[in-house]
Amino acid sequence: MCDAPSVESRRRFLYRFSLHNCVRRAQNTFMENVQRVLDKFATPSNIVTHELKCGMVAGALLINPDLSDTATVRAVVFALESRAAAELKTLDELMRHAVLEGELEISEDIDDCINRLLNGDMLLCIDGDSRYLIINARSYPTRSIMEPPTETVMRGPREGFIEDLRTNLSLIERRLKTPDLAIDKIQIGRKTKTNVAICYILSVAEPRIVQKIKDRLDKIDIDGIVDSHYLVSYIEEKPYSIFTQTGISEKPDIVAAKLLEGRIALIVDGSPMVVTVPFVMIEEFQAGEDYYQRSSYSSFVRLLRYAGLLLATLLPGLYVALQNFHYTLIPVRFMITLMTAIKGLPLSPLAETLFVLVLFEIIREASVRMPRAVGMAMSIVGALVLGETAVNAGVISSPAVMITALSSIALFTVPNLIGPMSVLRLVFTLVGGLTGLFGLILTGLITLHYICSLNAYGTPYLAPFAPLLYSDFKDAIERAPLDDMKKRPRSIPNINPTRQA
Amino acid sequence: MEKAYDKTRSAGKNADGKTGGASRRIGENSDKQSTSKQLIAVVFILSLATKMFLLPIYLIQSTGRDAYIVLAVMCAFDLVALAAWIVSMRLSPDTDFFTLLSKLIGKVGAKIFVAFVALFYFFKLNVVTTETLTFYSDNVFADFDAAIMIFVLLIFLAAVANHTLRALGRLNELLVPLIVVCILILGTIVVMTGVDVFNVLPAMREPDSFNSALFRHAAWSGDFTPLALFVGRTQMKKHTGKIAMTAGAVGTCVAVFFALVLCAAFGNVPSLIDSSTNITSILQYSIGNVYGRIDLFSSILWSVGAFMETAFFFYCTARCIAFVIGRNNAFWIALGTCVALYCTQIFAMTDPTIFSTVVTSAAAAVTVPIFTAAIPLLALVASIVERHRSGGKRGGHADIKPKKPSYGDDGASGADACENAADGGGAKR
Repeated sequence: MCDAPSVESRRRFLYRFSLHNCVRRAQNTFMENVQRVLDKFATPSNIVTHELKCGMVAGALLINPDLSDTATVRAVVFALESRAAAELKTLDELMRHAVLEGELEISEDIDDCINRLLNGDMLLCIDGDSRYLIINARSYPTRSIMEPPTETVMRGPREGFIEDLRTNLSLIERRLKTPDLAIDKIQIGRKTKTNVAICYILSVAEPRIVQKIKDRLDKIDIDGIVDSHYLVSYIEEKPYSIFTQTGISEKPDIVAAKLLEGRIALIVDGSPMVVTVPFVMIEEFQAGEDYYQRSSYSSFVRLLRYAGLLLATLLPGLYVALQNFHYTLIPVRFMITLMTAIKGLPLSPLAETLFVLVLFEIIREASVRMPRAVGMAMSIVGALVLGETAVNAGVISSPAVMITALSSIALFTVPNLIGPMSVLRLVFTLVGGLTGLFGLILTGLITLHYICSLNAYGTPYLAPFAPLLYSDFKDAIERAPLDDMKKRPRSIPNINPTRQA
Repeated sequence: MEKAYDKTRSAGKNADGKTGGASRRIGENSDKQSTSKQLIAVVFILSLATKMFLLPIYLIQSTGRDAYIVLAVMCAFDLVALAAWIVSMRLSPDTDFFTLLSKLIGKVGAKIFVAFVALFYFFKLNVVTTETLTFYSDNVFADFDAAIMIFVLLIFLAAVANHTLRALGRLNELLVPLIVVCILILGTIVVMTGVDVFNVLPAMREPDSFNSALFRHAAWSGDFTPLALFVGRTQMKKHTGKIAMTAGAVGTCVAVFFALVLCAAFGNVPSLIDSSTNITSILQYSIGNVYGRIDLFSSILWSVGAFMETAFFFYCTARCIAFVIGRNNAFWIALGTCVALYCTQIFAMTDPTIFSTVVTSAAAAVTVPIFTAAIPLLALVASIVERHRSGGKRGGHADIKPKKPSYGDDGASGADACENAADGGGAKR
């Protein structure tokens, strides 16, 4: 009862305020409003203008037909032309009483309105008001949620991100049902105005890192980004590095798990790849499936991956170095077999191995680029026919083919490192062939030293090995049972170390 | 472009009630370049890195089967220097070596002294480099062209000088397990092949040659002098000093053990030993046919320790030069030092006669031990004085820190947090 006068006075004030606005904007016709928007477009015909009677005033709806939902448009038109709206005469009244769509907003900023229109929203303008009512009508054709081809699993969730930001966010929210999940949205790209969501768990993620990432994103001044990979070079500490310093995943379960460890995820509208930072190298050796299998088997598989990487990178270089300079290091019987195999070859061990390696890289690249059916055929021709023929012709030796094949297969145990390790493998082979074990060891040291110098948002790239963090070994070399991992990884800065009691 | 953050769902601050005050105190001491584990790793590597290459051979040639005792005495001298370094680090946990010197003897005096120290480091760098190259040319390669091969080493050294001490420390930490495995393999092979270590008895039958060898090879002392870089820049925990001393002692014992094995094999026939002889020469005929030369392979892998020592001396030289010239231009300093190293190596030191003459000269035998003792002693005195000046608090005040963290280092970065976490979440003093 006591509040009645104040409510009444507030109503009067609002009425006077809206009256004042009406007087102020009386000179605006809805057509002028429409024209103001259409003038900004290179091809105004891309925007549909629907004139209609909105209650007691004339108005128009501006619709982007490619990105708007037809049903929503129809519902809005129906609502505006219905009897219920017959007595309404201002934009505010229309918003309050006629249009009942989920997200509504009145804006006077023409650039903002155009931006929203380009995102699929509708704009309503009426006579006597220069403002626009923005009605959410976004609807994009998106593919359905399916298992990502880059991260297939035998066990575990098969859902993958798609190109729609909302769907991707919903996939994460479904897994992290906590009010602590922060989703900050930002637009990047002068032309593309791409929506980017920064996700983190407020009570876990280190605020300084969150702020640092936001600052970096703020500084991006580019005409457009079309995929999350565009952001990578902006948020990496060393963008020229051969090693990627950001995690990329297509699976919501993996991203949710990383958020729980204190990482920050960047989801870009239009990309199914989610970027996570901070990133450490051991993440390349951790597969999502590791956590859905028996820990002993997962640990074994991880060891295989580490061994596979070493084998893939060093084996060709070691083979060439031993053959060229250090044959005394090879056991005698093996040496005799090897000598028999390479007898009469026209190429030196280095040239032969480099030839096979480069050939392999060419076949791999061609197979990836070709259509799937042709790619298979090409692999067969390349690997079997070409390899076999070359060996029979005496151009290359079978040990060189075997070493390259072994190295290449081993490389695929860590798929995310195929790029950098392919390059390093060539370098190691070249150095091993020219300078033997002396150069090979030093090149290994140079590489390791370089990796040791990398940091990503307060996280040493090679943690938990350098610097040593024994507590993180539970999820580095081995994969301890989940009930044994009571703390979050110390490698990843966070403000809440305890994970489970 | 509008970039206002739309915090759509940042509610629920501190949902589990644990985070507000429970921040992991991992941002403390953010100017530290090294953890205590890294210091221990460095001490271990420095204690044995070059002690199994040329030194035991020269010692056996000079004094026969008592060579291992000479080596043990030299190592003991180095261990005393190590103790001085560790005490200095404990007394001055926040002030680096160069700042300590500047406080003690003034900036000009410090620069003059550091210039001499740089020369000392450069000399040690040459000794270590020559040892490593000789090992490879005489044992690993049939045809080793040092003039070309050294380029790979120079690239490594230049890369080291262009990065931080933190990166170098991490690399050391990473390599220690590899070195330990190599030592274990070699040790196992030595034990399995049954070298009769009693061949070294009776000991000390020729004291004159013992004293002479000790004096002539004093240039090999000073392996711990690169620890100057760690003063004031290492997280010293309660037991760091003890563990570091233990690591140094263990490394020394390993080096002396392998020297003992070598003495047992060649001590009575020193004329048979030359620069191509090392621990693997004893073993190759016994296992080569079956397993290949895994002994030599282990030695080669072990040589990463020698490369690391080379890197440390190079890094020290570069940092000293940066301090003396007052500029932190890491690239040009590294390039200049590389050119100097290349010239001295290729035009002088790769010749075994010149190398042996220079290293065993009286000048080197007098100068090197003096520096080996003087540098840690000066650091110790400076840290004691600094401690008194700051009213008994270790490390003095914050205002004595240099404006830039140090010459050639990138200063504090976010990585420090994790480094601190690696040491258990901050220094315990």
